[in-house]
Amino acid sequence: MNVNNSHYLLDVRNLSTEFHTQDGTVKAVEDVSYNVARGETVALVGESGCGKTVSALSIVRLIAEPPGKIVSGEVLFDGTDLLKLNRDRMRQVRGAKIAMIFQEPLTSLNPVLTIGRQITEALEYHMGMQANEAVEEAIHLLKMVGIPHAEQRVNEYPHRFSGGMRQRAMIAMAISCKPKLIIADEPTTVVDVTIQAQLLELIKGITRELGTSLILITHNLGIVARYASRVFVMYAGKIVEYGPAHEVYHHPSHPYTIGLLSSVPRLDEPRKTRLAPIEGQPPDLIAPPAGCGFCERCSQVIPPCKTLRPALTRVGPDHYAACLKVQEGYTR
Amino acid sequence: MAAAATSTNNNVRPHHTLWGDAFVRLRRNKLAVAGGIFIILLTLAAIFAPLITPYTFDKQILTDVLQGPSAKHWLGTDQLGRDAFSRLIYGARTSLAVGVFTQIIVLAIGLPVGAFAGYAGGRIDNYLMRFVDVMYAFPDILLIILLRSIFGGSIYMIFLAIGLVSWVGISRLVRGQILSLKERDYVNAARSMGGSGEYITRRHLLPNSLGPVIVAVTFNIPRAIFAEAALSYIGIGVKPPTPSWGTMISDGNAVIFASPHLVIVPAVAIALLMLAFTFLGDGLRDALDPRSRR
Repeated sequence: MNVNNSHYLLDVRNLSTEFHTQDGTVKAVEDVSYNVARGETVALVGESGCGKTVSALSIVRLIAEPPGKIVSGEVLFDGTDLLKLNRDRMRQVRGAKIAMIFQEPLTSLNPVLTIGRQITEALEYHMGMQANEAVEEAIHLLKMVGIPHAEQRVNEYPHRFSGGMRQRAMIAMAISCKPKLIIADEPTTVVDVTIQAQLLELIKGITRELGTSLILITHNLGIVARYASRVFVMYAGKIVEYGPAHEVYHHPSHPYTIGLLSSVPRLDEPRKTRLAPIEGQPPDLIAPPAGCGFCERCSQVIPPCKTLRPALTRVGPDHYAACLKVQEGYTR
Repeated sequence: MAAAATSTNNNVRPHHTLWGDAFVRLRRNKLAVAGGIFIILLTLAAIFAPLITPYTFDKQILTDVLQGPSAKHWLGTDQLGRDAFSRLIYGARTSLAVGVFTQIIVLAIGLPVGAFAGYAGGRIDNYLMRFVDVMYAFPDILLIILLRSIFGGSIYMIFLAIGLVSWVGISRLVRGQILSLKERDYVNAARSMGGSGEYITRRHLLPNSLGPVIVAVTFNIPRAIFAEAALSYIGIGVKPPTPSWGTMISDGNAVIFASPHLVIVPAVAIALLMLAFTFLGDGLRDALDPRSRR
């Protein structure tokens, strides 16, 4: 066994994942490090295509190979490098120790199996339960996630569940084997706002109750402020800023984070104020810019930005940002 | 209002399973129902043939050779004095058995090959599908004749020969289904819960590809029946005196001008059975298509 040399439950170190396409190699995730403590909720934030999902799927090795490939890095989970496990050992981790909640509750359930059956299979496989035990447990889980008439609902097919209900069922499935870590990939993007809040409260409550760690992947900074203790901001396959959520929220250091925050509508500002969107498009990850990935869109760009890659630099307590303007010697 | 509220609260609405829904839709299609009833009746007649038929299929009444339809012989007799009606009913046994057993062979080979190729992908998929292409390109009737000459003449060997040339279509269909299904989110979700490739194929992919497979099988059955009739017609099908609709047409061919009913009746029987399966297949295709849900 590996020595547990990390006090984090999950410690991702220098992870790089690429996709080989006919146009070239897409560096979807490049040299990304992040960690999650036991029982902690961490948010991965960034716009579409910035590598949030790929970096999370890389943890459980659900990147389709080919075209994808995890080229380097370590994913230490409870001290074990998941990238070195064989397929069978990896399968015992998935679902039992690390579970996922996907973005699309409408299509993430198999239409030809009952909700109950989809939950009990994992229970029988990972927990070695007998069929009747597993059904009891499935009903219990459905009740836990707030599905009324769980005794009847357990025998129904997914098409009789609404989107919010299906996402609840997905949550029930994710927590069924009492995993140590749940990865929620934009769990509330496709449901409406009132349900969003309910679902997030539910996830939060359950993770707190079970002491489960949570990685919340989202582009919604409002969610981050409320639910995560720490936040990792990703841009163009790299982490550009991370730190305690309130720190990042109140003292954003990277221009991208500042841009993200100012493009969110706020109730405490005068109604006439125009939102400030971030102009431009993310860079092409097949041929990423030599310097900072954000330099093309940055309002505070200085000439060295085009050529020098900024390193993550401490800007506050446990708060780091990768921008030349906070790095020694490049203040303008 | 109150009634509606209670019904949703107590969930008294009956369960609608996928197959239950499909059955409801199938029942609305009159042609499919007619086809299904015809097939069921013919199957019952074939099973209980000894109880229905006035004579056995090989009973020769040499005083009644080449008779037209009468009260004694409903559909007349052939040149050996055998009752055409009795032979027609016994012939249904051959035809239906060919239809069903060849499809069992087709499914036994086609499903696993297609599923394995589709899920494994890459080189395995490529090799398996090139083999399927070769099988597909080879003329069916030639291969059947070849297999018949190798395996000999028993009726089971007809099942085997027809089955061995027809599984390629199903394997292609299943592979295509699986290729598209394996990109679905629930497959990803199943993998994220620790499901193995074999488990995902068996539990998630195959059941979801079953609809088109059932339809294809329904359309394949009449093709197999027709293949057997054709083989029997050219004399490499079932051995006499076992009746088959193909051999009946072949035998009747010699006396077609004197007793045309000996050709017409089994020909109509084949046509009706094929139509019945085609209507049923059409109905199943529509019923199993979730988009046709009203």
